This record gives sequence, structure tokens and C-alpha cells, in this order.
Amino acid sequence: MSDDVAMARVELLDVANAPISAEAYFDGGDPGPIVAALASVPELLGPTLGFVGAALGDGAAASRHKEFAILRTSVLQGCRYCVTAHTAVSLDAGLDVAEIRALRGDVSIESAFHDERERALIGWIDAMAGATGPVPDDVWTSAREHWPAHVLVELSVTIGATMFLNRFATGFELPTSPDVETRLASAGLT
Amino acid sequence: MTVVATAGPIADAIAAGELPGRVWLYSNYHCNLACSYCLTESSPRSERRQLTPELMLGVAGEAAALGFTGLGVTGGEPMLLAWLPDTIASMAEHLPVVVLTNGTLFVGDRIKRARPLARDGVAVQISLDSHLSDVNDMARGPDNFAKVVEAVPQLIALGVRVRIATTTAGPLDDPALEPLKELVLSLGVAPEDHLVRPIVRRGRADERGLGVAAVARDIPSELTITADGAYWGSFGPTVRAGRLDTDLLITRTVLPLSVPANALLSAVRGLPPGNDANLGIR
Ligand code: SF4
Repeated sequence: MSDDVAMARVELLDVANAPISAEAYFDGGDPGPIVAALASVPELLGPTLGFVGAALGDGAAASRHKEFAILRTSVLQGCRYCVTAHTAVSLDAGLDVAEIRALRGDVSIESAFHDERERALIGWIDAMAGATGPVPDDVWTSAREHWPAHVLVELSVTIGATMFLNRFATGFELPTSPDVETRLASAGLT
Repeated sequence: MTVVATAGPIADAIAAGELPGRVWLYSNYHCNLACSYCLTESSPRSERRQLTPELMLGVAGEAAALGFTGLGVTGGEPMLLAWLPDTIASMAEHLPVVVLTNGTLFVGDRIKRARPLARDGVAVQISLDSHLSDVNDMARGPDNFAKVVEAVPQLIALGVRVRIATTTAGPLDDPALEPLKELVLSLGVAPEDHLVRPIVRRGRADERGLGVAAVARDIPSELTITADGAYWGSFGPTVRAGRLDTDLLITRTVLPLSVPANALLSAVRGLPPGNDANLGIR
């Protein structure tokens, strides 16, 4: 068992306890808390990680805009694990500290984002991930003025997969990797 | 018997020797004994982890339809479940069944409970580890020897096919086992129905440093169904320090049986061959 077990609400399987049908996911050692938790239902690993990988990975939308969707959704869902992890990924995707602070809700979106297209996109992400019911007409119209429908469809899948991860990580109280915490502290983003 | 499938991915893999033909079911985990080498740390206080008769019958029917060729029922002590003999008899309508028991619950008047087991396609496998009652009872508990030697001839007289399984810490061909083999024969059990196997170092045996260490590749990859999911081998769903082992877990899904069966086949194909034949684990 890894040291993380006591912190999570479900058992995080380590290499010694990894199901034989999930061995490939543990080949490189510790696969991280999400896989370690999901491995207790090994038949779900392949489909779930396949879906999440496709939803969060490369696609028609730029990685910068995918991170808008992932980070903002995680903030709106109150998922500390995903906010922390994707703050680090956002830095890798080229977002600057001011932009990350704005997506995290520390400062206004307007103070950090000056491109009308990106503001429209963030407005639409907020309506998808932070509210119930239909997306208001003005938000939708503004998003469609700047973005092709297929990009919004793709990002809706990103938002949905992120919401799943948010509930999984928060509901089971998955621990954030100390490496990520250290990196964010050095960027002033804890 | 229902018609056993002879084609399809699982039937083909069994015919090719890639997968063993038997499906095991852990009917329950609690036991009236608490043997020193028990793989499941069973005792009267163990969590029951009990299957339902409906699930056991469902597994039996689907196993036949997929092309499996036999069923095994183990525990814990299966005979603690009052409904089990009738369920075994119904399962045998689909495939031959062997049920593993410590044999201590057939003494006296309770032998009548075994009547449904006196039929074609059912064998009862009883554990007996030594011809010396004190040696046997040291590992398996007080009066175990006496109860087994009482029950075996009575079961045979009732028309039940009885097999004896001996679990040993010594070599499988140890000449010291000869008196036990003679005793087994004298109880009315044919030599081919006397199985000698090693203690496998899992469960309570692992905690006590007993038996042969075995990794997945050493353990026959018989599909094994429990209340907690499907496992690689009947030595897979063991319990150590109160925790159900997960290293040989295949799927949590048990029905439809094709889900764990296909996952097991994929896992078997992903691993190099083992040396289970050398270790004699069965
Ligand atoms: S080895 Fe069998 S008889 Fe002994 S405690 Fe375990 S389940 Fe019971």
C-alpha cells in the first residue's frame, strides 16, 4: 500500500496489490491516485482512461483552450485535486500566472484575458460547468460568433470528463502529489 | 447436463489448453474450523462473503454455454449453507461439480444433508492431512480426524463420490504419506481420487511462513467467482491480515460470465507461461 492510503477514502492499490488484469497500468511504478483508486474495479480502467484520455488529450481545440475548460470546470466544481494538478498542466500549456489566477477565480477574467474570443469561450465554459439548465442565448451566440460548433462539442466532452474526475477525486479525497504542490509553490500558485 | 459449447473464444481456448476448463465458486468464507494454513483466514467469525444460490446457478449455466467443462465449489466451509446441497445438485444439471468440504458437518444424523450430493456429476472432496489423528488435528482442529474418518464411509454408503485432498508441507511424493494413502483406500476412496498438494503461501499460510511461494504464473488460471469479483485461480481470492487480496483480481463483474472469462483469457495471453506443473498446485 502506498503512503497515500490513509489520506484517501478508498484504497489506493500499489504495485504489490495491483490486479493482474491491470498490471500494464502499474508497469512504470506508482500510476497516480486516480488509476490507483480505479484499479479496484479493473475492468473499468481501460474504458474510463480511454474516455478521459480522449476527452482531455489533443484534439481540434488547442491545448491552451482545453486547459481553460479543465481548470475552470474544476474551480467551479470545487475540486482541489484537479485544480492543483491542472494548474501545473496549464503552466506547461503556456498559460501565464495572471491567466491561471483569473481562471482560478482569484482575479477577474477581464483583468487577465483581453482577447474577445477567449472571453466568450470562458463565458460559455462557465455556463456549461457552473450552472444548471440551458446555456443562456447571449452566451451561446457570443461563443458561436468566435468558435466553430465542433470545437464547442469537443470541449463539452472535456468539461464532462473533467466533472467526472472532479467528483471522483473530491468524493474519494484523493491526495495531491507532493511534487505538484512543490512546483506550484515555486510559481507562487498554491 | 445442458449442452456445453464446443466453439467460441472460451471453448477454443479451453480446447487448446490455454485456459483450464473448471470454474470455481467461493460459496462463502466463514468456516467452523480455523486451520493453520487456511488461504482465506476462515473461522466462525470471518466475514461471510456469501454467494446466493441464484448467482451460483447463473454461473453454472453460463459456464456451460461458454464452453467450460466443470465447476468447483469451495470456501470457507460450503456445508455451513443449508441450501448448498440442493444448489450443487441443480448446478450438476449443467456441468460436473466438485465441492470442497472439511467433512465435519456430516457426522451423526447430519449425514442426511448429503443426500442431494449422491448423484452423477457430483464429487465431494474432503480434506485429510495425516493418518495420525494428532498430526492432522494440530493443523485442522480438534476431532477433525475422527469426524472425517466417520463421515467418509457413510457418504460412500449413501452413494456420494468422495475424493480426499491432502495438503502437505513436505514433498508431494514423500514416502511418509504411504500410511495415509492406505488409510484413504481403507475408507473406500480409490487412489485416483486421493489428491496430494502443497500448502500455498498465501492467506494465513503466508502470515505463518508456511508452504510454497507462488506468483500468478504458478497458479492454474481457473476462473474463480466470489462475492467480491472474479479472480485468476482458486488460490487468488485469499485473505491476509483481514484484507481480501487483489493481486489476482480479474474483474468485479461476475455476470455475464463472458466478462470475467474474456478478461481472464486476455490476462493469460499477456503473461509468460508459468511452472504450475512443477509446483503441483491444484
Ligand atoms: S482450510 Fe478449509 S476447513 Fe480449514 S479453516 Fe480454511 S476453509 Fe475451513
